[in-house]
Formats: sequence, structure tokens, C-alpha cells
Amino acid sequence: MRILAIIISVWCLSFFAQARSLDDIIESKYIVIAVYNDYLPFSAKVAGKPVGIDVEIASEIAASLNVELRLKWMTADESSEDDLRNNLWKGHFLDKTKADLMLRVPYDKDYKLKRDDVGLLVHEQVHMFAPYHTETWKIVFDTSRLEAVPTMALFQYHPIGVEIDSIPQFYLMSAFRGSMRKNTRQFNTLDLAVQGMVNAEVDAVMGLRSQITSLHHQLQSSASPKSSQYQLANNAFPLLGKQKWDIGMAVHTDFRALGYSVGDIVFAMIDDGRMANIFAKHHAHFEIPTYYSK
Amino acid sequence: MLNKGKAKALSLSMLVSLALAGTAHAQVTDNDIVNDHLTTNEVVTNGLGLHGQRYSTLDTINTKTVEDIRPVWAFSLGGEKQRGQESQPMIKDGVMYVTGSYSRVFAIDARTGKELWQYEARLPDGIMPCCDVINRGVALYGDLVIFGTLDAKLVALNKDTGKVVWKKKVEDYKAGYSISAAPIVVKGKVITGVAGGEFGIVGKVRAYDASNGKLVWERPTVEGHMGYIVKDGKKVENGISGGAPGKTWPADLWKSGGAAPWLGGTYDADTDSLFFGTGNPAPWNSHLRPGDNYFSASRLAIDPDTGKIKWHFQTTPHDGWDYDGVNEVVSFDYQEQGKTVKAAATADRNGFFYVLNRENGDFIRGFPFVDKITWAKGLNADGSPIYNEPNRPGNPASSSDGKKGQAVVTAPSFLGGKNWMPMAFSQDTGLFYVPTNEWEMEIWNEPTAYKKGAAYLGAGFTIKALKEDYIGVLRAIDPKTGETVWRYNNYAPLWGGVLATAGNLVFTGNPEGYLIAFDAKTGEELYKFNTGSGIVGSPVTWEMDGEQYISVLSGWGGAVPLWGGDVAKRVKDLNQGGSVWTFKLPKKFANLARN
Repeated sequence: MRILAIIISVWCLSFFAQARSLDDIIESKYIVIAVYNDYLPFSAKVAGKPVGIDVEIASEIAASLNVELRLKWMTADESSEDDLRNNLWKGHFLDKTKADLMLRVPYDKDYKLKRDDVGLLVHEQVHMFAPYHTETWKIVFDTSRLEAVPTMALFQYHPIGVEIDSIPQFYLMSAFRGSMRKNTRQFNTLDLAVQGMVNAEVDAVMGLRSQITSLHHQLQSSASPKSSQYQLANNAFPLLGKQKWDIGMAVHTDFRALGYSVGDIVFAMIDDGRMANIFAKHHAHFEIPTYYSK
Repeated sequence: MLNKGKAKALSLSMLVSLALAGTAHAQVTDNDIVNDHLTTNEVVTNGLGLHGQRYSTLDTINTKTVEDIRPVWAFSLGGEKQRGQESQPMIKDGVMYVTGSYSRVFAIDARTGKELWQYEARLPDGIMPCCDVINRGVALYGDLVIFGTLDAKLVALNKDTGKVVWKKKVEDYKAGYSISAAPIVVKGKVITGVAGGEFGIVGKVRAYDASNGKLVWERPTVEGHMGYIVKDGKKVENGISGGAPGKTWPADLWKSGGAAPWLGGTYDADTDSLFFGTGNPAPWNSHLRPGDNYFSASRLAIDPDTGKIKWHFQTTPHDGWDYDGVNEVVSFDYQEQGKTVKAAATADRNGFFYVLNRENGDFIRGFPFVDKITWAKGLNADGSPIYNEPNRPGNPASSSDGKKGQAVVTAPSFLGGKNWMPMAFSQDTGLFYVPTNEWEMEIWNEPTAYKKGAAYLGAGFTIKALKEDYIGVLRAIDPKTGETVWRYNNYAPLWGGVLATAGNLVFTGNPEGYLIAFDAKTGEELYKFNTGSGIVGSPVTWEMDGEQYISVLSGWGGAVPLWGGDVAKRVKDLNQGGSVWTFKLPKKFANLARN
């Protein structure tokens, strides 16, 4: 509650000109943190109020820096790379405002060191740091139609829902010589895919673990007497390139001090269990990045 | 008595219309629009005629007099919003209507360059238009100036005040839709397509009553989606595009097939057909969607009254290279063995020029119009491509070890042998004047990609010039033989439209900023003028007060500078801008030439 109380929802941020140094942030008594629009359980505005895991993490960071939180809501572009450019270092050509800190940025060495077609570092404008959880894929299924999901082979015979233009869609439509393709049903969002399972359009749904676990909890806690009808699977995803990856944060490369400072806050949150608590509150599976393994 | 009354009414209406003409309050009628290619005192269609030939019968400015044309005014679109001016000016009763980037419209006194009014669409926060902030122009009808906005609305403004008369949401911008093309008005209906990125959109062409913005029909451009027509105020089903879902798509990918008709359309009165082209299919990875994927990368002939698809011609079935099939279809007739052939021509992004029978969509002939095509070895007898399979970008699934996939080099690049910029057809020379580009692309799978923080398989790519000394080539192409009669090489890629005139002239602009006039028969450069920023708009010509005028927008931008690599180096020193340049041939020089 303490956290939510200090959140100020700001939709039009035209007065946030650009990313700033830690000193400027402290002096101005506010920090601008970028989170995604409509992306539960991470961040969204529900009935005008900002909610979600990333919103609460942002609140903790602002509180720890003893500044006011101002959220910059990101409309996702085609890739995280575009989002970094639009929200952190260059600004979008329609809305040139920038944030001081951006959440939900991959923490991946290959990605960090990625080079463009002429050999330059793609991400030289930003500093990526503070992995705060590990993400992977997960399947939720309907036990009235599937006994269990021991392997992916099942989906040669059973329809499965995915979010459009996602890795699960790529995977299900191309792996094993496309043998699962005809059973792959696409939905505009993962929410709709899960709704499709409830409506018996599909027998299972594959998606981001955080989202699947959170949606699974919603199904279980819904008033329906058949609350145990939906279960999480523990199958493997053979031939799937990236099995797990870490999610962290980014600041403009000029403002490393801010990065170090926020990095310390995140470390403390992981260390004292606040991070796990935030995930638990949103019923999303939490996995500590290997970065913190002792 | 009756006769007398009628005569009285007639003379009164004549007086009224005369008075209106005098004070420039005449309305744009269906007749004005249908005859736009014949009238020289106004430009009321995008394409100088609904068929899109971009040919003017004016010849006061000709190969002899063009050296004496001069700028008479320049108009700045102002502000910081100087990004890609791809609009074509419209002229009615001495007033010019143009759009600027960021969904702006200007009415300008065509004689003096004085601004009459300006309208700026209020764009919502958090808008993410897929395809830059350009706009390609307005449509005129009655006393309305109608245009599409980046947040996918149609807005109709009063031509005298610039005030909104009606506004219609065509699609939800939040779902990834946008509009940048000029709408077309046919038989009192304003017809528009939509643009959209890879967000699972479905392309649709829609017709609205131009007077009030009420929907008349809507036609999806993806197989399997229901079309609608409005009868007695109710939207009723009007047939599924392609008959049924899933015939040329696997699984349920037809539900989000893409195929956005983002460049708008042309119209042929002879066959009473609208011609709209469609974009690439979604998702981008072609290995996920074996099949032809109707009606992506196609040209569609649509009945303007009902929205029914009369025929389709697919230029790139099962597209894997992002060869949108949106480029304009230009209707033209030619004589062969004593018979008139009702043809339509289109120069595709994929590097092939197609001549079709516009009555039924049959393929007449096709030929490469760029120097290098590697994705296909040629065309079959029905116009379908003979694929060169090794040049299809690889399956990301096969690079799932997390390493960068095998790179494939293909020509043309996805920006196309020709992109959106419209070509012109001269009725005198029988040639098409086609703004083309010589470039190729390298594409590879990119496993270290993320989308909203979720692992993703992206595609990396770079565009490369094929030649050191040029990318752009303006070509004069004979549609009967496929022969390139002349060519003009340009260092930067060409991105602006072309105009042909009865003065044996061809006009176009280049990114270096020059408006250039060529001899239509020989390609000799006869005149050029630097407008101060790159030209990516389309020139027009008209007659006013007995003098011939030419006008073009200047303002570098559009898709080219958005991409990096080789091409970016060629254009990085070009400055942005935003202005309208208007030229004329003063009377005394026209008279000199006649003597």
C-alpha cells in the first residue's frame, strides 16, 4: 500500500525532456521509469490505476531513491531494440520524451554485445544491468481434454493456443517439420488464448511463464467449481533455441551512476525477498537469475 | 409557361454557377473527377486522372520552353515537422490543397503561395504508426477536402475554412493500423485502404459516402474474411473474400494475414473497376505459411458499387522477401494487330513489370525492369514467378541453436525495384516513365532478438547498392516490348513520383533536391532546379490565367533514411525540409516560343 500510495499516473509526459543523471534525479525529486502498456502481470493501467510487477518494482526503486515515481508508458514497437531507442536514448519521432530508467530489458551478454550490419555495437547508447528475474516458456492445459502434457508430441493431435507473432507460434508452426502446425491456433494476446481454452477452442496454451502462471491462478481462483480443471505442464521444449533468459533494466550509457545505484536497490530487493514477494503477489513464478547465485 | 419557368430556372442557376466560379466556390463533382485527365485548369485526383497515368495534355511548357520556367512562390510547411513530404498537390479554382507529414493539410492560394488555412490532426499519445509519418495527399469532393491520418481516421474538411465536417475512425490505431495514402473518390464514394505493421492486422478496402462518411461497403483483402455492404442502414454480409478460409493458408494464419492495401488505389471507368494492391503476408517468416497466401502481394479489381472482388493477380505468391504488391495499377490502351487492348500496367517491388488485361486480370506479358533479379529466374506463361529457392530467406527454426543463421543475398531489396512512387504514362510516346532503384538485400535470422522482453526470432538485414555511382534509375519503358528506351541514373535512390506532359516532357524530383525535366523521347536532361531539400513527392501541372504551372513538394524523408547500412551513407548528408515549390512559364516566353 505504501508503494501504491506514491504512484502518480502520468499519461502525457511532454515535460520529461530526456534521460537524466542520478544527481539531476535526486535534485528534481522524481524519476521517470518506462514500463509497457497493457502487459499484465508486468504493467498495465487497470481502471486508470497502474498495476503489475514492474510497476511495483519501479515504486520500490523510486522509494529507495527517495524520489517521486513518474511512469512513462511504452507502446511496444517491433522489438526491444526499438523500445530502447524510442524510450531511453533517442526518443520516438512522434513523442520525443525519454525515461531515466527502462524495465523489462533483456539481460543477455550476446544481446548486449550485438553488432549491426556495419559492425558497430547496436546497444552502445544504453547500459543494461540488474537482472531481476529469469523468464522461460510454459504450457497450461485443460485436464478435461488432456490427461497430461509429457511431451510436445501431443500437439500433433491436440489444438494449442499461442500469442500471435511470438516464439511459441514460430516454434509450434515450424518445429518437427511443421507437424504441430495444423493444431496451432493464434490469438492476439495470451489472455485471449487462455480464454480460448476456457471456451474449448484449444486444449492448451503456450506462453511466457510469468503470464501463464499468473493467468493459471486467475482460472483456479475463479468461482467455477472446476477450478482444478486447468494445470501447468512441466514438459521440455526440444529444438527451441533460447530456453531461458534474464530480464533486467537499462539506463542511458552516460548515466552509469544511476545504473549502479539502481543495481544496488535491485540486489537488496532480491536479497531480502521483496522481489519474490512482488511476484508472489501477482501469482507469477519467480526464478532468481544465476547472476545472484552464491 | 413551363418552358418559361424552366428557362428562368436555368438562367438563374447559370448565374449562380457563374458567380460561384468567379468567387472560387465551385464544388468538385463526380464529373470533374472522371474527366480530370482531360481538364487542364485543375487537378482533382491523385494521379492526374483516376487511371493514374499522370499525363497532362498541356504543352505550353515543352522541350523548347522549359528552360524559361521559373519558381513563382515557395511555401513552407513550417514547424519542426519536416519529415518526408510525399504528397501530390491538388488544385481547384486557384486553391492548392496539400498534405504534410504528421497528418497536416494546407490550403494555399495557388497564385501567390499565401496560406488560406491549415489543419493539424491531433494525434493520440502513444501512437506507433508502422510506416513513418508521411502522408500522400488529399481527395476532393463537393466542398470537402478528405484525407487519412496516422491514427487511421478519415477526416473531411470544409475546403474554404479547413473546419472538420465529418471524421470517421477507419480502424483502431492501437491494433497497429494507420493511413498514409490519398483516398480516391469514385461515384460519390471515398475509398481507402489501411496500412499496418506485423501486429496481426487484416487488410481491408472500405468505401464511405463522401458527403457524410457513412460506410457503404468493406472488403477484406485476405482470403476467408467476410465482406460487408450497408443496405438500409444495416451492415449485411456480402461474401467471403476468396470464397472460404484456409485454401491458401495453413492452420488459422488467414485470421491475421496482413495484405494491407496501404497505397490506395486507381479506377478505370471503362471496366468500372477499382484497382488496389496489397502488402506482404504475415507473419514475415514464409516457412510458417506454405501456400500462396491469398490475397497478399496481389492486385485486386474491385467493383466500386459493391466491393466485390472481380479478379486478382498475385505478383509474389508465398512472399518471403517483403515484396509488397501495392504499387499502382495504371490503366492504358494500346493498339496491337489493329485491335485496341484494354491493358493495365504495374511495376512491382519484386522487379518485374506486368502488363495485364484490365477486363479480366489475365497476364499479357511481364519482364524485368531492373538490372538484377535473383529471387526468381523469370515468369511462367501465367505470370507467376519461377522461384530461385536458394534465394528465399532461411527458416529461423533451422538456426535454433542460437547462432546467426545463414545469410541470403537477394535482389531487389525489400524496398523494391520500385516502391510507392508513382510512374507516369505518356499518351504521345506510349512509354511508361518508371522511377526505379538498383539495390539488393542481405537477410539473416537473428536469434538474439527480443520483443517486449520476451525471446524472439528476428530477421537482420542490410540493403546494399549494386553500383558505386547510382541507385536510382528513371527508366522509359515500352510496355509492348519490355525495352528500356532510355534511362537516367541517379546517385541516391529515387523516391518521388513522375509526371509526363504533351510538351514531350517528363518531370521528376530526386533526393538531392532537384526538380528535373527530361525530353520524353530521348531522356535528355533539359532543366533542373534545386528545391533545397530532397524531393519525394509527385509533381503536377495545370493552367491558370493562361499560363502553365508546375508544382512539387520538397522535403526529404520517407522509408529510405530509416534503414541503415550502405544506403544510409549515401543519403546521410541530405537535409530535411518541408515546402511546396511552384513554377510557371511566364506568358512572354510562351509567346516567344510560338513565334
